[in-house]
Amino acid sequence: MDEYQTEEETTFVVDEVSKVIKESVEAAIGGNTYQHSRVNQWTTGVVEQCLSQLSKLGKPFKYIVTCIIMQKNGAGLQTASTCFWDNSTDGSCAVRWENKSMYCIVSVFGLAI
Amino acid sequence: MEEFHNGNEGSFNSDEADNIVKECIEGVVGADDYSQNLVNKWTAGIVERCLTQLVKQGKSYKYIVTCAVMQKTGAGLHTANSCFWDTAMDGSCTVRWENRTMYCVVSVFAVAIA
Repeated sequence: MDEYQTEEETTFVVDEVSKVIKESVEAAIGGNTYQHSRVNQWTTGVVEQCLSQLSKLGKPFKYIVTCIIMQKNGAGLQTASTCFWDNSTDGSCAVRWENKSMYCIVSVFGLAI
Repeated sequence: MEEFHNGNEGSFNSDEADNIVKECIEGVVGADDYSQNLVNKWTAGIVERCLTQLVKQGKSYKYIVTCAVMQKTGAGLHTANSCFWDTAMDGSCTVRWENRTMYCVVSVFAVAIA
């Protein structure tokens, strides 16, 4: 009997993860205007939604999801990340989303177990 | 013969990482004012320096270091992290730093290698 595991199942697939992130952000903060009193629950909602969708993919990965929400008022924001991992199996994906009143940047890092 | 086992050896030491990160930030942007031309270099410099210092500790971890630098203009900024990992072995640490003209938020995530 032939038993094989496709490469896709054990490497980080950026497109798939990108799609998951976009859907999660839309679902969590889609039509809203920046509000100081609600942004706490939005960032939590975005990361939790992303994480639960990612774990549903059922791949042997540990995940780290980060989310930044910034009000649009002309301030400059720069982010960077660097990783010390296994290049053949691990990967990351960052999605920048915006509406009229705020920016949302979500990064997902996947590390193979 | 008594055997003394330090409980911390198998898990991430976030205090140590905290100190490393603070020193790296001070070293790169310590005395500077926010500058759009330089901010790219700063974020890259901070994450690289942090990673180098962390790896030097020689522990069997994979690391992810993220850094956000924001100009102080009164805008609201909120960040959140969520992690799906082994809570006994893996860990993270976040450092918030500021000076007169900018905020800097650095997060370190350490994931144990089996």
